[in-house]
Amino acid sequence: MEVAKDPKTRDGRRTSPVVYDRACLEEVCGSCAMRVNGVARMACTALIDSLAQPVKLEPLAKFPVVRDLSVDRSSMFESLKRVKAWVPIDGTYDLGPGPRMAESERAYAYELSKCITCGNCLEVCPQVNDRSSFMGAAPISQVALFNRHPTGRMLAAERLDALMGEGGLDECGNAQNCVRACPKSIPLTTSIAEMFRATTAHGFRKLFGS
Amino acid sequence: MGVMFNRTPEGLLDFRRFGGTKFHRTAFAGATTGQQLLYALDEQVRRFEVEGLVHKHEMWEFLGLVRDSDGNCRGIVALDCVSMRIEAFPAMSVMLATGGPGIVFGRSTNSVINTGTAASAAYQEGARYANGEFIQVHPTSIPASDKLRLMSESARGEGGRVWVPRARGDKRAPKSIPESERWYFLEEKYPAYGNLVPRDIATREIFQVCLMGYGVGGKREVYLDLTHIPRKELDIKLGGILEIYEKFVGEDPREVPMKVFPGMHYSMGGLWVDYAADPRHGTLDETSPRNQATNVPGLYAAGEVDYLYHGANRLGANSLVACLYAGKIGGPAMVRDGRDRGARLPPGDGAFAGAKKKWEMEFARLARLSGPENPHVIAEEMGDWMTDNVTVIRHDGKLAETDAKLQELAERWDRIGLSDRSSFANREISFVNQLRNMLVLARVMTRGAGRAPARGVPRRALQGARPREGGHGRKRASARRRELPQNDDRRAHRGWPADHLCGGEHVADSAAPAEVLRDRASQRLTGKLPPACPERSASTSAARTLRPPPLTGRSTSCPTDRARTSSRS
Amino acid sequence: MTFEERHFWLRRLHSLSGIVPIGGYLAFHLYENYTATRGGEAYNRMVRNLQETPFAIFLEIGIIIVPLLFHGVYGLFVTGTARPNVTSNRYVRNWMYFLQRATGVILFAFVIFHLWTTRLVNIRDHESVDLFRLMQESLQSRWIYAFYIVGILSATFHLANGIWSFSIVWGLTVGPRAQRRMIWVSAAVFLILSFIGIRSIQAFRA
Repeated sequence: MEVAKDPKTRDGRRTSPVVYDRACLEEVCGSCAMRVNGVARMACTALIDSLAQPVKLEPLAKFPVVRDLSVDRSSMFESLKRVKAWVPIDGTYDLGPGPRMAESERAYAYELSKCITCGNCLEVCPQVNDRSSFMGAAPISQVALFNRHPTGRMLAAERLDALMGEGGLDECGNAQNCVRACPKSIPLTTSIAEMFRATTAHGFRKLFGS
Repeated sequence: MGVMFNRTPEGLLDFRRFGGTKFHRTAFAGATTGQQLLYALDEQVRRFEVEGLVHKHEMWEFLGLVRDSDGNCRGIVALDCVSMRIEAFPAMSVMLATGGPGIVFGRSTNSVINTGTAASAAYQEGARYANGEFIQVHPTSIPASDKLRLMSESARGEGGRVWVPRARGDKRAPKSIPESERWYFLEEKYPAYGNLVPRDIATREIFQVCLMGYGVGGKREVYLDLTHIPRKELDIKLGGILEIYEKFVGEDPREVPMKVFPGMHYSMGGLWVDYAADPRHGTLDETSPRNQATNVPGLYAAGEVDYLYHGANRLGANSLVACLYAGKIGGPAMVRDGRDRGARLPPGDGAFAGAKKKWEMEFARLARLSGPENPHVIAEEMGDWMTDNVTVIRHDGKLAETDAKLQELAERWDRIGLSDRSSFANREISFVNQLRNMLVLARVMTRGAGRAPARGVPRRALQGARPREGGHGRKRASARRRELPQNDDRRAHRGWPADHLCGGEHVADSAAPAEVLRDRASQRLTGKLPPACPERSASTSAARTLRPPPLTGRSTSCPTDRARTSSRS
Repeated sequence: MTFEERHFWLRRLHSLSGIVPIGGYLAFHLYENYTATRGGEAYNRMVRNLQETPFAIFLEIGIIIVPLLFHGVYGLFVTGTARPNVTSNRYVRNWMYFLQRATGVILFAFVIFHLWTTRLVNIRDHESVDLFRLMQESLQSRWIYAFYIVGILSATFHLANGIWSFSIVWGLTVGPRAQRRMIWVSAAVFLILSFIGIRSIQAFRA
């Protein structure tokens, strides 16, 4: 914010302020993900006094750049549509109380539901790139989340189908960078492995079951 | 809808207390309930998108209304923040769901996109803005130079205790201060509520304690202590917010008491919206097209941008419920209204071209601004003045000064020099436009705060307000009535802080909540107030999965919904 | 079968074929070659025995050539979709990911070379070749010897690490703890097979 008051180039000439996305500044919105000194992370929690100077900022490389540090992350949102990352509800009449749920189950799901779709897991993934259509860890983990939900489970098979296609789960190369880059410490690799198990069962069921 | 709320051992919904409540009555999802609700809604909108029912215009920003010759709102004009193209969108009805104006105060717990620009633009085009000065200052936020981060009330709901050292300027580490030398001032003064007094009281008490010099290390900070609660329980119930504290402060709140201070959090005021009572039993007529309608025909508002549900003081979790409820009744109202007013204006109508042209010319003018002033400096001054004078302590003289200052800033705005002149993804130019709107809104709040008698108690607010059928008239700052209200100078003669801080009758801050509640309850009984909608839906929402707000799919009403707003709970 | 499912089964077959039969064959191959430590006579006898196995040629094609070809060619295609980033993400698992692909490419070249020089040479009268001497002679070259060392280590690493990711892909190990335990299994496989392989190749040089 101080910089925006008087933006200068390295040799002191006036320039236009850097364009970057941000909204909440507390790791809720996910919009300020960028590479800070080469590390993909949320800019809002990158505290300046704990960084090596001079700080080098770069936009995420896995998304098209809009301008400066602002990128267009819609590919990730398209993936979420593809895997139906929602709970199917009718909502036109009162459905009464929801299903009971074990607190332990809820607690685990909560970890998955913390995803802020920032895209850092895609940024560090060697399999997410211009040569492959891999969707990355975030949408896969969302499938793990919604397939756990008592109502969300109704779409479980469709979600697994979506994961089995090109660009889906099997594109994963198990480099496991995602779980380290996640600012919300979501157990992404556990979700991925869980989905591997689920698609294995699903695949056999489809092959021999019906 | 997909939000997995915390559960009891039986697998049923668990409840927690919030400020101003004595009972465990609020369902919660960790300490980030609002965030979870937001995500669930986001997911549902995505579902509607796939089904072809909703079209999102992301990275578009609301500029103004399109009004036909009869004054009806027939659409909006918006700016594509990437290509900088300006477009008029025809609509049967328009709903503003653009959130609060926190950034008017510079630093707040709100997202930095919450500038109130859409509300201000609508106000300038004739929509009434009500109770602008009803600003909630959250008692516990994490102080920082870029923004304030909310330390949710759930921290106290789960047993967090607020204290300061009994000795002023005590330099010892908090853990080494023995129990007997700690001053749990909230528990001491309000034994019934303890640390969960309503927010305005907690805020004022913390403020006062700090002004008296008892703040931690003499600074404007008090301890919020969770260290007596087992680590595991904290992680389960409050994990999210404790992580945030840890990330920004670098101390583990499970081991070291947190340092917090009040911060601007929520605007109870907003665009005035209507509702209709069912004459048969006096309760809300849920089918009326008047619900959530502003005074501009065809324009609706819901969420923090409306003024309706919280009176002068919002209770924890109520804004989430108010959002959902306003959406629930506002959506059908829009559909009915659109139907009642007949077909929409054809896109070729001159009103659209006119509005579009107007804004294109305006932005061309903004792009040419080349004075010496910097918009960010003006914004900072505005924020500082507003935070100092229009939050917890409001002194008449200071309010007048603030008003003068805001006018000075508005003049300086004319001399702004744009540092970015590109015609692609130019955030600077849209910020300059927003800043002008913020300055207008800041004045609305400041002058509202100065109105006499001091508002906050609806009973007193009746005086001087225009009576309205079915309503409990609160005074509205209207575009057509801009004279400064006559100040009751009694207050000005009293020295502050003591008088203004101690919850005396003249405090222009949010009212003593007990009084508000009592007052509202009595009005409700006599049918002057609608039934306690927020409360009622609070219990409903707790009892089952939330329903989606009805979507018409025809309204273009989400300017910058690309970035999720910060949640509050 | 839909397109999605075809993609899925191709990937899974690739994963499976690496372990069964290729991994199994590799283990067997290194194991039998250990006979080389007992001299040329014993080694050539063992080779002859194998050659006299019923349906040897079909087994060779069905269990070795076809799976190898599929695993190798499809593996190269999969590797083509990767953009390793070990310089900016220096984690052990990321290195493993990189090495898995690097060894895969090495192995592709090595296996062709190995097949060419040991199996396809003199293809019409394969039985008459004195394989021990042939190996002995070619390994006199320091370069070929080094290539063999690299090839063997690549193969054992590729298999060991492949077992680790196989167990994820097929849903055997889900949680991080299970995956950590699997590392021990894969490390053991790597060490044992590498020991056997290196000792055998050394025997040809002795």
